[in-house]
Amino acid sequence: MPHLSLTVNGDKHELEVPANRTLFALIREDLGLVGTKDACRQGVCGSCTVLVDGVPMRSCLALAVRCQGTHITTVEGLKADGKLSRLQQEFINAGAVQCGYCTPGMLIMATALLAENPRPTETQVREALIGNLCRCTGYVRVVRAVMAAAS
Amino acid sequence: MSLPGFDYRAPVTIEEAVALRLELGADALIMAGGLAVVVLLRERLARPAVVVSLSDIPELQAVAVNGGLRIGATATHAALARSKTARSIAPLLCEACGHVGSPAIRNMGTLGGSVCHGDGASDPAPALLALDAEAIIAGPRGERRLPLVKFFLGALTTALNGDEILVALHVPRPAAGTQFRFIKYTATSAEAFSTVTVAVSITRDGAGVCSNARIGLGSVAPTPLRARAAEDLLRGNKLTREIIAAAAAAAAACTNPSSSAQGSAEYRRDMTEVWVRRLLAEMPA
Ligand SMILES: Cc1cc2nc3c(=O)[nH]c(=O)nc-3n(C[C@H](O)[C@H](O)[C@H](O)COP(=O)(O)OP(=O)(O)OC[C@H]3O[C@@H](n4cnc5c(N)ncnc54)[C@H](O)[C@@H]3O)c2cc1C
Repeated sequence: MPHLSLTVNGDKHELEVPANRTLFALIREDLGLVGTKDACRQGVCGSCTVLVDGVPMRSCLALAVRCQGTHITTVEGLKADGKLSRLQQEFINAGAVQCGYCTPGMLIMATALLAENPRPTETQVREALIGNLCRCTGYVRVVRAVMAAAS
Repeated sequence: MSLPGFDYRAPVTIEEAVALRLELGADALIMAGGLAVVVLLRERLARPAVVVSLSDIPELQAVAVNGGLRIGATATHAALARSKTARSIAPLLCEACGHVGSPAIRNMGTLGGSVCHGDGASDPAPALLALDAEAIIAGPRGERRLPLVKFFLGALTTALNGDEILVALHVPRPAAGTQFRFIKYTATSAEAFSTVTVAVSITRDGAGVCSNARIGLGSVAPTPLRARAAEDLLRGNKLTREIIAAAAAAAAACTNPSSSAQGSAEYRRDMTEVWVRRLLAEMPA
């Protein structure tokens, strides 16, 4: 079985991982980090998005063995010193959560956007989140939350 | 559903990858970004004994100017959309890559994967066709080059042999003054595959006479398409209203669309005519 060493939310892991394990299964089932969700398993919905070395990727379509030596960030890793990130707090303030299933993916995508572009326009926020589907149709407040976190 | 079992190999050079491909034959499935591959595995549409990943071959990611532009097969859509090197020769391709799926899809998907998958709905493929790109292919007998028009044979079917891998795409430097236009037209959200994708490259002389024209179409046939009949009407002529209208109609006549959530066959054909006409008409003289 392939040996994998990677860092998840700052913690180093050494694991034996079958080649057919997706990054998504590794995160949820092997590491028990259940914040990351899946729905479509085809890369469309965005709910499984995590950061691989800071870059948003679909964990449902990534083999875990490909992530050798990388740093993964999941929604659990967005907190710093036990405190929610500014973005997370703005999601709460804006009421940007209905059922909450898409929220981890939205937070991950928006975190990557703000890291690259701390002052995005509303259009840029919408473009960044175009691949994250919310079936409660709560996009307006999500965009408002990201804009507030950027202000 | 979890994925069926397979072994995983990640060669670090092109030579190693070609040797592995030859050794494993039909047991191997090549993986680049994995966007199509992981779905094929999950749906049991492919049952390889071994998945051979190209992601650890740095040479395959390189984008370099060498007379034209040489793009390594595993350069991602995101890397190409922001590459200044690529933009210096093929801004049309950069624009097309920037319209693939959503940001996370562009971070994972590769240009070579998009081409080798052979999907008629590829957005980058029409741009590559309009740029007269060539596929650079490596196999046990060495390297061969094939114009991309000859690469797409049918739905999800390409001219790549079972013992070959695509190593790069080559885009020749366009003639000075060549103009480009691109549209990914979607009836629903911009994240979805297109209703029609059109990429146009036009070269005109000082008198405004078109000396070269290439029109690539996506999502309107089982394969990405060159609208040859439309190109023939443009070449040797000025881009008058009449010529443009005739070329747009000829482009629509080249298509063989099917119906999907992105549009009925009829709508796709109509939109091909509309967008070819608009892109040509908006080119400044
Ligand atoms: C949610 C989603 C949305 C998408 N939206 C769009 C869109 O809007 N527009 C668009 O154009 N595309 C879109 N795509 C398609 C996507 O861009 C392509 O499927 C993707 O680029 C395939 O590239 P890959 O690197 O992931 O290929 P892979 O999945 O790794 O491979 C695809 C195929 O090519 C073969 N292959 C790959 N590389 C090589 C090589 N170098 N040599 C030989 N064989 C090779 C593989 O064996 C496989 O058969 C979307 C995909 C998803 C999942």
